[in-house]
Amino acid sequence: MEAALEQHLEDTMKNPSIVGVLCTDSQGLSLGCCGSLSDKHAGVISILPQYAAKLTSDPTDVPVVCLESDNGIVMIQKHDHLTVAVHKVTS
Amino acid sequence: MGCCYSGETDTGKGDQGEREHLLPQSQSLPNKAPNESEQNSTNNPSARTDEQAMLSRILAKTAQNIIDVSAVESQGMEQHECMDRARQYSTRLAKLSSNLMDWKKVPPLPSLTSQPHQILASDPVPFADIQQVSKIAAYAFSALSQIRVDAKEDLVVQFGIP
Amino acid sequence: MTSTMTQGLERIPDQMGYLVMSEDGGVLASAGDLENDERLAGVIREMVAVACSFRDLGDQQPFKRMSIVFGEHTFLVTISGQKIYVVKRQNVVREPISV
Repeated sequence: MEAALEQHLEDTMKNPSIVGVLCTDSQGLSLGCCGSLSDKHAGVISILPQYAAKLTSDPTDVPVVCLESDNGIVMIQKHDHLTVAVHKVTS
Repeated sequence: MGCCYSGETDTGKGDQGEREHLLPQSQSLPNKAPNESEQNSTNNPSARTDEQAMLSRILAKTAQNIIDVSAVESQGMEQHECMDRARQYSTRLAKLSSNLMDWKKVPPLPSLTSQPHQILASDPVPFADIQQVSKIAAYAFSALSQIRVDAKEDLVVQFGIP
Repeated sequence: MTSTMTQGLERIPDQMGYLVMSEDGGVLASAGDLENDERLAGVIREMVAVACSFRDLGDQQPFKRMSIVFGEHTFLVTISGQKIYVVKRQNVVREPISV
C-alpha cells in the first residue's frame, strides 16, 4: 500500500544530510513529499528528467539531473513512470 | 439564405463582435433560441421565407427538447463564428505584433555566476550521491508498485437504465 | 571575444566538448562532441528555462550549476552574462582505495 512509499520517504529523511524528498509521476502529480520539497516543485521535478532523456540515444542510460548551489544539491532521477528528487545539503 | 444573414452580421456585429465574451455568463439554450428568432424577424421580416420560418421553428423546438451538457457553456458561438473571430484576432495581433514581441520574450535568464569556467571545471557531483539518489528512486519505485487497486465490486455502476 | 569565452573551457579536466549559446539558444561557440550540436543546445535551453523557475529552497539563485549525469559522461551547465555554457565531461569514477 502507499504506506510503503510514505515509510520509505520518512526513512530517507532520517539521513542527516537529506533535507527534502519528493516523488512525482511523469505528469507532475506529487505522490508524496517530505521536508524542503513540496507539491509546488513537482512540475519542475517531473519535467527535467524528461528533457534530459533526450540527450542520449540509449534508453537504458537514465540520467540524474542535479541542480547544484552553494548550500546544497537537488538530484532528480526518473525511474519508469516515477520521478524522485532528493535535496541534500552540503555537510 | 446566406445573404439575409450576412447583411446583419457584417454591419451589426463586425466590430463589436470581438468585444463579446466567447463564453456567455448565463445563457441557456431555451432562452437564447426565441430571442434570436425574434431579432431576425424584426430586423428583416420580409426576407424570411416560409421555409426558413418553419426550419427555425423546428430548430427551436428541437433545441428546447435537448439539453446538451457539452454545449451549454459555448452555445452562443457557432463554429464558423469562432473561426471568423479567430481570423479577426490574428489580423489585429499581426498589426500589434511589433509591440507584442517584448511580451512574448521569455523572462531574461539570471546570471548564475561571474566565473562560468571555474564553476564548470570544479569537482563533479560525487558519484556516491548519484548512487544514493538512484537507490532511493529504485526503492520508491518498488514501494509504489506495491500499490494495487483492489477492486471488490464493479467500478462502473449503471443506474436509471431500465 | 570568442577566444576569451572559450579559453578556459578547453582546459576543463576530462572535457569531451563544450558549447556556448546565447539566451535565445543560438550557438555562439562549440567544439569536440558538442560541435554545432543545435539539438542539444535546444534541449539544454529548455531545461535551463525550467530549472530557473525552481526556487524557494532558501537560496538567492535557483542553482549555480546544473549537471546531467549519465553513466559515462556528464553535461554541466551554467549561465553567465546572458550566455549558457555547456561542457561535456567524462565521468571519472575514483575507485575506493582497497588496501
